[in-house]
Amino acid sequence: MSKPYTLQELLVIAVAKEIHDYENVILGVGLPTTAGALAKALYAPHATLMMESGIIDFKPLLPLNHIADAHSCRGFSYATDLFSAFTMTYRGFVDVCFLGVGQIDKYGNVNTTAIGDYYKPTMRLPGSGGAADFISYAKRTVLTMLGGNFVGKLDYMTSPGYLEGGDSREKSGLFPKGSGPSMLLTTKGVFRFDAETKEIYLSQIHPRVSIEDIKKEVPWDLKIAHDLSETPRPTDEEIEFIRNFAPAQSAGRELALELTVANMMRKAKVI
Amino acid sequence: MKEPADKIMTAQDAISRFVRDGDHLVIGNYTVGSCAELVYEVIRQDKKGLTLYSQSGIFDVEVLVGAGCVGKLVTTYVLRAGGKKGGSAVERALIAGTVQIEDYTNFDYNARMVAGMHGFSFMQVLEGVMATDLFRKRSFMGEDKFRVIKCPYTGKNILTVPAANPDVCIVHVQRSDKDGNAQYWGAMGSVAAAALASKRIIVSCEEIVEHDIIQSSPHLTIIPAYRVDAVVEIPWGAHPTEVLGYYNIDPFMYGLFMMSDATADGLKSWMDEWIYGCVNRAAYLDRYIGRFGSEILDGIKAKAYYSAPANYGSAFTTRWDRDGRERFMGLTMEELEKTFQERGKLYE
Repeated sequence: MSKPYTLQELLVIAVAKEIHDYENVILGVGLPTTAGALAKALYAPHATLMMESGIIDFKPLLPLNHIADAHSCRGFSYATDLFSAFTMTYRGFVDVCFLGVGQIDKYGNVNTTAIGDYYKPTMRLPGSGGAADFISYAKRTVLTMLGGNFVGKLDYMTSPGYLEGGDSREKSGLFPKGSGPSMLLTTKGVFRFDAETKEIYLSQIHPRVSIEDIKKEVPWDLKIAHDLSETPRPTDEEIEFIRNFAPAQSAGRELALELTVANMMRKAKVI
Repeated sequence: MKEPADKIMTAQDAISRFVRDGDHLVIGNYTVGSCAELVYEVIRQDKKGLTLYSQSGIFDVEVLVGAGCVGKLVTTYVLRAGGKKGGSAVERALIAGTVQIEDYTNFDYNARMVAGMHGFSFMQVLEGVMATDLFRKRSFMGEDKFRVIKCPYTGKNILTVPAANPDVCIVHVQRSDKDGNAQYWGAMGSVAAAALASKRIIVSCEEIVEHDIIQSSPHLTIIPAYRVDAVVEIPWGAHPTEVLGYYNIDPFMYGLFMMSDATADGLKSWMDEWIYGCVNRAAYLDRYIGRFGSEILDGIKAKAYYSAPANYGSAFTTRWDRDGRERFMGLTMEELEKTFQERGKLYE
């Protein structure tokens, strides 16, 4: 039995396994950059890690503060600009990208812009950033939803998943064949999309979570994989890498923030 | 060519001379190394009715909106402090109806600047957005947010965005010479396009360097002197954000800001202390060190990791060889002039 792990560590590993060796990978901030670093260290040493700020082929030494963080690596191979980072995605050179989710519907369409009325929102979320273009043209897109919700209808459709399901994405003529979301990670499980209907289904379940826990959060009758499995237990090597590389990621956002604020207050008093 | 007058000036002078109420103002920096002090000066001078362009809004957009300088915002991403329970100046302004926002993707926004930078009237963008509310929901740009045309070569529908040529760009870079040859490296983002699309450009830099430094590293120059109106030397000019090769992000000050930004009152008192309460960046740093000591700033100063120099040298720098003979024709100047005379080439 490997050593005890945190849920956050489990999540990073689940995402990192979506990166295969020799792939070109667009990383987003937070969990995906830690996953990228883990993949590069353990599973995919030849992956080319890229960010839309034009930092291409880098090896993160620290968790990144944001997607233009050249302070967290020691140089990198190719300094291009944002325009070219997207046109190379458009041309099909990006294998996998990672996007965060505010709301998601049955067919993997995503809202990261606003809750409520777009013009007078009850909650303004960050917006598209690169999301809508990446999910359009990367060969695969891995979605992560740590604080968001499954909804019947999005308040705003920021990023196109499988539109109305079935072959509607392909028929629209707007996207390359085979593109679209390949996986959704939440704090409770891993979801994938049916090859024909493109409806999202539960594929893996995290430890200490029941199918009912998950179904409660989904406003339609969620389909469950016939071969539903439990998310594999992390190995010591994986746990040690994450805990050393990104200890705040291991702690999770809330605990890390609590400890950071406490430390800041202590320092402010000393000063 | 801009006026040959001395471009070196203070942030106060640069903002008061080149930023006007109602301007379309673009923050040139993208996510990293924001032109914090130039932004603060816009706020201190209480510029009004700005249409603000920001590739990705961080604390810079928050304080400009929080200060009431902005009427319209064109962006792709805005900051939110404190997660679901928190908030942002942009959210508060949208709810109050004091700011209108036009949302684009990162590429769409940048494409508008790239079109503007090159003098084109529009730019083709990635058509996947047509399936989304980014395309369907429009604010103050209305029909002109996006237009669809037919490609004259393939017959396919092409999504386009109109060029943007903001009145003025404020941008922070690592270094510049006194004429405004601005050098920037790291995450290139959309910094050059934002500056070059604009009619006026205010550059702030960590340091002003000799022209020799620029001349031996032109690959680092992203804005040429002839386009620049003002050069402002501001050490720590991007603090609390970071400048590659100079300093890291200041998690302490950024944390203070984030904790304040979640409410209007919190943001106001933070701005009273750190923007309105400091006449310039030197005063800001004095206040910072006075309150927290210099330990935090010392701890985030960059350690050097130099770029390998690119060799811009060549075999020779004159047409005349060591023996004083012209390299192609093999003659000395005396022999050449004699030949001109003999061949009747010289006019008396």
